[in-house]
Amino acid sequence: MHISMRSTLAVTAVCALAGFVGACGGDDEEGGGETQSSAQAKTCGPDGQYLIGMSQANNAEPYRERMNDDIEAAASNVPQFEVEFADAAQDNAKQVSDVENFLTQQIDLLIISPNEAAPLTAVVKKAYDQKIPVLVLDRKVEGDAYTGFIGGDNVQIGEKAGEYVANTLLPDGGNVVELRGLPGATPAKERADGFRAGIAGNPEVKITADAAGDWLREKGQQQFEAMLQANDDIDVVYAHNDPMAEGAYLAAKAAGREQEMKFIGIDALPIPSGGIKAVEEGRLSATFTYPTNGKEAIDAAKKILIDCGEVEKEQILSTQEITPENAAKVYADANAS
Amino acid sequence: MIPQTEGADPPTAPTPPARRLPQGRREWLEFVFRFQSLFGLLAVFIAAIVFSPARNGELLFLTTENLANIVRSVSEIGIIAVGMTFVILIGGIDLSVGALVGLAASGVAVLLMERDYGVVPAVALVLLIGTAFGAVQGLISTRLAIQSFIVTLAGLQFARGLARIWSDGEGVPLAYGDGPGRAPDSFSVLNERLLGGLLPVPALIFVCVGAVAIFVLRRTTFSRHIYAIGGNERAARLSGVPVGRVKVAVFAISGFLAALAGIIHAGQLNQGSPNDGAGYELDAIAAVVIGGTSLMGGRGSVAGTLAGALLLGILNNILALNNVDANVQLLIKALVIVAAAALLTLRSTDE
Amino acid sequence: MPPLLDMQGIAKRFGGVHALKGVDFSLRSGEVHALLGENGAGKSTLINVLSGLFPDYDGAIAIDGRPVEFHRPAQAQAAGVATIHQELDLVPEMTVAENLFLGREPRDRLRLVDRRRLRRDAAALLERAGVVMDPARHIRSLRVGERQLVEIAKALSQHARILVMDEPTAALADVEVEQLFRVVRDLRHEGVGVIYISHRLEELAQIADRATVLRDGGLVGTVQLAETSRRELIGMMVGQPLRDLFPKGDATPGEELLALEDFTLVPRRPRPGRSEPRGITLRVRKGEIVGLAGLMGSGRTELLETLFGAGSSGRQEGAARLDGRPYAPSSARQAIAAGVGFVPEDRKDLGLVLGQSLASNITLAALQTFAHGGLVSTGRAHKAVDRAIAELGIKAPNRGVPVRSLSGGNQQKVVFAKQLLTRPRLLLLDEPTRGVDVGAKAEIYRLLSRLAEEGMGILLASSELPELLGVCDRIAVLRGGVVVAEQTAAEATQESLLEAATSSEPIEEDAA
Repeated sequence: MHISMRSTLAVTAVCALAGFVGACGGDDEEGGGETQSSAQAKTCGPDGQYLIGMSQANNAEPYRERMNDDIEAAASNVPQFEVEFADAAQDNAKQVSDVENFLTQQIDLLIISPNEAAPLTAVVKKAYDQKIPVLVLDRKVEGDAYTGFIGGDNVQIGEKAGEYVANTLLPDGGNVVELRGLPGATPAKERADGFRAGIAGNPEVKITADAAGDWLREKGQQQFEAMLQANDDIDVVYAHNDPMAEGAYLAAKAAGREQEMKFIGIDALPIPSGGIKAVEEGRLSATFTYPTNGKEAIDAAKKILIDCGEVEKEQILSTQEITPENAAKVYADANAS
Repeated sequence: MIPQTEGADPPTAPTPPARRLPQGRREWLEFVFRFQSLFGLLAVFIAAIVFSPARNGELLFLTTENLANIVRSVSEIGIIAVGMTFVILIGGIDLSVGALVGLAASGVAVLLMERDYGVVPAVALVLLIGTAFGAVQGLISTRLAIQSFIVTLAGLQFARGLARIWSDGEGVPLAYGDGPGRAPDSFSVLNERLLGGLLPVPALIFVCVGAVAIFVLRRTTFSRHIYAIGGNERAARLSGVPVGRVKVAVFAISGFLAALAGIIHAGQLNQGSPNDGAGYELDAIAAVVIGGTSLMGGRGSVAGTLAGALLLGILNNILALNNVDANVQLLIKALVIVAAAALLTLRSTDE
Repeated sequence: MPPLLDMQGIAKRFGGVHALKGVDFSLRSGEVHALLGENGAGKSTLINVLSGLFPDYDGAIAIDGRPVEFHRPAQAQAAGVATIHQELDLVPEMTVAENLFLGREPRDRLRLVDRRRLRRDAAALLERAGVVMDPARHIRSLRVGERQLVEIAKALSQHARILVMDEPTAALADVEVEQLFRVVRDLRHEGVGVIYISHRLEELAQIADRATVLRDGGLVGTVQLAETSRRELIGMMVGQPLRDLFPKGDATPGEELLALEDFTLVPRRPRPGRSEPRGITLRVRKGEIVGLAGLMGSGRTELLETLFGAGSSGRQEGAARLDGRPYAPSSARQAIAAGVGFVPEDRKDLGLVLGQSLASNITLAALQTFAHGGLVSTGRAHKAVDRAIAELGIKAPNRGVPVRSLSGGNQQKVVFAKQLLTRPRLLLLDEPTRGVDVGAKAEIYRLLSRLAEEGMGILLASSELPELLGVCDRIAVLRGGVVVAEQTAAEATQESLLEAATSSEPIEEDAA
């Protein structure tokens, strides 16, 4: 029975000791050697070495893996940059910890693609308030406590998808089933809203069912299996990203119903398992490019840290529609570089 | 015909000793085992210092900010693990706690944002739901004599389903302010750090919960009942221990603490989602096992669990600060859990 | 001709403790040789050396004159040594047949277990061991005594030449003991040597030839049983002059404490192997010790459990009154609150939390007396524990040691202490001196006598007829859950009790 008391005391003592040591340990760093500070970075200049932390939402998604690869590739051309990656695996609490750990490591710039907006807002603000430049990629946080946002216009993509369905796939109307991304991530809402605006022009096109596939192929497959059971008449499947669309396709194929309907997705990664190839091979009817922003992110970082300049608050990238007509060419072009 | 022992005992042989190692080594081992979790914590702490990256002349691991981060990050799991300790001590297990976190997080968010409850009524109601959920699981397990593993496995599904129903399957973000459709500002205290950034509120709650639990498990008749049931339930029953009541109470405690963790979760992340807490039950069990509590019941302590939770937090932190690949991190954590369990087995066979 | 087994100068140390100091022991072929001594005398250690459980020991062992070394159990087994322990090594979830042939099941052409042969061989084994039992029964449905018979049958099946039996009759009633002895005699004729450890000195004269007495790890002497009286044996074991085992009771029975009239338990779900109480009429007065005699399965344990609220769930019929008020406890908690205490038959399984300390075990049933608002007052608790340890003479280094480390007798005293702390008016005992060494037995008997003098009523179930005759004022004999006879200690004899217990008169089926 003595153990617990002693253990508690010991644990408390150790923590107190550590806290004491930490408090006496050190103050904030004043960077050594760098010249000016701009409005957007504490230190900047071409002579410094900079540590960049990239907090990713979920490495398991192909789109995000590509994003990481793009960032790494772009950073390898910048000798002053060292990039560390952290993966939250769709866990908001982990991503908060990831950012906290980056701050502890005294990163010079934070790139983040938040899993969901509300949970990550506070910690991003914390970094921003500490005068660390924050670049938010592809998904937004709430409020405006960040340096720059780089992403696609998800509303516009949704609209284009909606128009494609309303005008090209179902000019005489039909039933659409929607597979959404993770609900708390901003693109999901935007792609849903945009789509509804896009089909508004054709009142015969109706959305008869929707479910959350959380950006994941397996989940998309699972949800769509259930939808197949519940809905006899499906004409188009609109998935917020290609993996979910592919998952739905697999589910339909297993039920022998893949010829009854058309599938469209978003992302259009130029990789063998990506959306462009899927359109080429006929599984998807269309997809829309959603740039990973990796290169743009490093460019922005260069502007802030090396050139001591400023970047815009919002940098919106455009999208391209991929259909059977242009799929092969786009794929070839993308992989030639 | 048989000897009559009077006041003085006749010289009888000493109690036959168990298979023992030579005295000195055995005592040293005993000492290590009894404070197993504490030694583990100390070892990991020292390793963290050794492996801590340094920048600008200071050890990143030892900054107050980082240490506060660590305690904050283990607070939710730690609170759940305290409840789990009680359950495991009576020889049971509670697999529903992760789902209860989701239930509580989404529940409190819905109450605050969509039903315009005040903070106190919302928190009280959610805690009540968690406690009742746990108590019902305990009742089902004892009255119908079903193993707690199965009952709480079903409870896990039930809680998830319930959480998804009352939040329409989506997370409910919290927006603060006055008026309808907004949560009262006071709830946001859960995401703050007191004392000039030193003490995260969830960590404070965690420490308080731990302290109360340690006290209860040391000084009350309730705790004696718990240890007796875990040690030998039949003997406990025959000694007049109200086994059924104690078991229900223990599960109720677990449910209460899981709900508390869920409320904190919503406060920290500004969002209550029905899928929150997935997998938390396993992290909690890991903390309990590392802390030296036997899964068979009857042996262990909350202090050990606290040390186990902190140990895992420090481990996570030092791996992250060194940017160890996420998959390698999983491997290392698995090894640590196995090592702790092996130590426990070694200890019990030595007795 | 060299003896079957010859052990010379066997010594074994555990750290600083000399468990055996140069003991000589020999066994002839076809001999039953008793090994006697109080707990801690070194009997178990000697047997463990013979079983090959220790990688190192001093001294020499020879089988048929050939020197052997037993450093691993496999070596001892190969030489023909088989041991039947007090702790039974059976798998509760399996059947008797499966346990008998565990690891050596007869297999058919497809290398699968041949179930029919398994059953047949098992039945043959059981018959040879003189055990009447269905080999298809699961171990978990057997009583302790029945399990022991299975163990014996199992050891016999392994073609032992040297058979070690550790307290084999501790849980057997007299009729089963006779069966066992028959089998042992058969083994003697086949040339098997039997080492027989027992505390039941009365049995030895019937079965053993020689006896070796150990004390404090050393050899006291080896004697021919035919030439040695029990007093002398005990004297060798204890090293002290003897006196009567059973104290003269001074208690005068007072008013009626427990009154059972046509007491019956109708179980909600009848469980096989249990004899629930049927139409029991019995009285226990304050200050009186009433004994329950009967064979295994006669319903003694079931009656005691029911009286403690721990029996099968069901409907009670007839009347049960404690101190004049109706008494029908549905849980042990209620029984304790009503002033009843129970010392169960299997202390390790039902009476103690082995991993916990003396103090925790002793205070467990009476926690509320040391608690204030749910908080335990360790000061008061420790004082009460120390008092109990002193009063009952519990030998332990301190009150914090785990009870698992105590001897059988001291463990039993802990169980007593726990119940006595609840200040019971009626004490129920089920085989209270089973597996308890001679010295502790005497202490327990004196304790019972003193408790009766203080006005406690005691109901004592036991398979040891001399114990019943020596301690009780009256003895009721049970068979099949019914009281078939009741005699005062003065008029009863072992024969009369045994006859009543085994009489083949049909029991009237009550229209219950």
